[in-house]
Amino acid sequence: MMKKIFSITAIVLFFSIQTAFAEPLGLPPVPIPADNPQSKAKIALGEKLFNDPRFSSTGDVSCATCHDAAKGFADGPLKTSEGIKGLTGTRNAPTVLNAAYMKSQFWDGREPDLEGQSKGPFINPVEMGLENHEPILTLVRADRTYWKMFRKVFGLKKKEALTMDHVAKAIASFERTIISGDSPFDHYYFTNDKAAMTPAAVRGFNVFLEQGRCVSCHTVSQTHALFTDSRFHNLNVNFNSISGGVKALARRQQQDKADGVDLDVSILTDKAVAELGRFVVTGQWRDIGAFKTPTLRNVDLTAPYMHDGSIKTLEDVVDFYNNGGVVKAGDPVNSFQSGGIRPLGLSDTQKADLVAFLKMLTSPLN
Amino acid sequence: MRNIIQTLFLVAALSLGNTLTAQADEFTKEDLDIWQKEFMAVVAVGRTAFTDPNLGTNGVVCAQCHPNGANTHPETYPKFQKQIGRVITLPEMINWCIRNPLEGKPMALDDPKMVAMQAYITHERRNVKLAPGKH
Amino acid sequence: MSIINRRTLLKTGGTFVAGACLPLTNIRLAFADQSQDFTFAYISDSHIQHIKGTKFVRNWDQGLKRAVAEANLMSPKPDFVMYGGDLAQLGTREELDHGFEIMSALKHKTHYVMGEHDYYADLGEYWSSQVGKQYYSFDHKGVHIIVLNSILTDDHWTHERWANGTERMGVMAGLDDPRGSPFMVGAAQRKWLANDLKDISKDTPIIVFSHSPLQKLFKNWNFWTDDAELVQAILQPFDSVTVFYGHVHQIQYNQIGNITFHSVMATAWPWPYPESYAQAENHMPHLTVPINRADPFFERDATGWQYVDINSGKATVKFSLTENEPRTVSYDAKRGHPVDTKYVSRSKPPQNHY
Repeated sequence: MMKKIFSITAIVLFFSIQTAFAEPLGLPPVPIPADNPQSKAKIALGEKLFNDPRFSSTGDVSCATCHDAAKGFADGPLKTSEGIKGLTGTRNAPTVLNAAYMKSQFWDGREPDLEGQSKGPFINPVEMGLENHEPILTLVRADRTYWKMFRKVFGLKKKEALTMDHVAKAIASFERTIISGDSPFDHYYFTNDKAAMTPAAVRGFNVFLEQGRCVSCHTVSQTHALFTDSRFHNLNVNFNSISGGVKALARRQQQDKADGVDLDVSILTDKAVAELGRFVVTGQWRDIGAFKTPTLRNVDLTAPYMHDGSIKTLEDVVDFYNNGGVVKAGDPVNSFQSGGIRPLGLSDTQKADLVAFLKMLTSPLN
Repeated sequence: MRNIIQTLFLVAALSLGNTLTAQADEFTKEDLDIWQKEFMAVVAVGRTAFTDPNLGTNGVVCAQCHPNGANTHPETYPKFQKQIGRVITLPEMINWCIRNPLEGKPMALDDPKMVAMQAYITHERRNVKLAPGKH
Repeated sequence: MSIINRRTLLKTGGTFVAGACLPLTNIRLAFADQSQDFTFAYISDSHIQHIKGTKFVRNWDQGLKRAVAEANLMSPKPDFVMYGGDLAQLGTREELDHGFEIMSALKHKTHYVMGEHDYYADLGEYWSSQVGKQYYSFDHKGVHIIVLNSILTDDHWTHERWANGTERMGVMAGLDDPRGSPFMVGAAQRKWLANDLKDISKDTPIIVFSHSPLQKLFKNWNFWTDDAELVQAILQPFDSVTVFYGHVHQIQYNQIGNITFHSVMATAWPWPYPESYAQAENHMPHLTVPINRADPFFERDATGWQYVDINSGKATVKFSLTENEPRTVSYDAKRGHPVDTKYVSRSKPPQNHY
């Protein structure tokens, strides 16, 4: 426990320093919304909120429970996250690392920004389980330390003026400091340090760019590399579990949404709805079963993989893509699978090289 | 006033040049014909490659998506291609197409067939203004 | 992204919801006689391409499979599906069989149009044995529907010039192949058409399906039907005529007299607009607001299919595009021609990728 606290502090220290001056090697400037500028005090407040388990109905789940710094801000080896009373949702916890760069949040992009995202889990029945946001506000208004911090950070005069938006802004500010670059890959690619990656990883990078077709979605540019296109794709991960009844399911989901059923709740409590992916947000056919491309930075730390955590290791992920989006070669592919996925014909050496490359994307965390 | 006179002289000189098509050390028509023929022979090789089902492995040909080499926009290269992640030249993009839609093996950048394909593509796009980097 | 609840749904009526956000529900505007309104789906140009053995080009397969799967999601069900031609790439039995097999997953009644890629290997023999007539008509909810085989050409080219069907098909399959020949409906079919329309009253809405445009847009790529004027002349006396065509792999729409023209998308791959070929003149309709140039990095970009609402004989075409925003092109009675409900003028292109 002591070690964990230490590592969190170390990371935050490291990243705070980085954002104060320049981004780590390989990353563009962190986009900061005009209505939520960064400040040291706000970041500290966000960090405190992020780690505080009191904002859950049982008092033992915080944001950090599923976004654990020691586990790359995710919660491996869990497939899907555990909230209060050991309840599980339907999605694998996406890392907070570099979430600041994402153009939308959650696997299905249902929130446009970190501010919006941060409010959801508190009131999800399988995450932090609160009925609504009121208990959080009651707590932070009554707690002398919190109230002092909020007052200072947001210039509040009366306790009633403290709203959930302030809580969300502080958490988002903290999350915008959880960024990671400066990996062996960054040194290899951006500072031309040819010794920074092993020969196998260098070959693997070539597979990544060419025969593996990985770079189509996990993008790299000449000045930085986020390893995500922030777009949504149907990979055929677990879609066949619902492909028999997509029509009825899609209609039911759109009807529920129109009737005002909370998306957060239906997505995390209904496995079938969860598989509809981006479609639940847009109602567009093109988004059926499509999920956001995650970053690959620190991917070695965030197993298991895919939106449902159904693939255990990086080797298995590579096999999945090499087979054209199926776990076992020749298994059926759904009709909505994204066009770019196809069998790749990689050799065992190429697959091993690719995994070696992926392991070069781990940032020095302390 | 002096400027105007200069301009007039220039215009006169140009029109003179046009009427007489005479310039110092001009290429001979014979040379020009030979060079053009050489170039067009390579363009023809490029066209053949562009419509060759064996350029890749799945029978798909370049011209299937790019009739007359259209939508290849050679005048915009080198340009940044986001999914390749850097500024690339036209032959690199040709190789991308061979590897991806055609499921084939990329060529050496100085492969005569690669040169011919560039000749064909740029010939079909002749007289269009250069627009490097444009998307 | 706007969130639609039942209240806004009622307020905004059908077009916005069906066109922009919730394609699962086709709520129609109220017309005088709603019993005459109907919806059909339109899938076209899949170019199923055989590699060898049981291998086919995966990308084209996936395009058609996706369109079929999406059409099966339509609610309410479409009255029928029209397949717009070019199911195969080189017209072989393997390609046609594979294409028909993918199409067989459709849960709706399907009609077919002949495309040149289905035809020139064996002059339509195998296709006809599986589908039936190459040109025909039927009536549906007060609309007279005609299907033409518009990809014929002159007899000499067809019968005299080529060693075999494979060679002939190969030439016709190359859109820009200078050895090709312009499409035509031909005298026999024009005569049949005139006769078919003889007893149809002039106020009956007419819908014509062809593979080539039935107008002259760009000869270089056979976006062209050589006897277009003659066919149009047979159709002009009718109050309301809508022509749907495939072949061009891009969005086009036009109005010539009483005839409204709509192209449909390909499920296989998109084609550049003729303007992008710098060396040949084109006659593209000024009405058409082009779709953006496809991004080669997204295999399904600028491909898709469409569903069509027919209200009082006029068409509203809704494009379901795999990687692009949906578009809706609807007949505007005041202007007397089709318009994109979002992008109304060619001077304001929706996209300008290079």
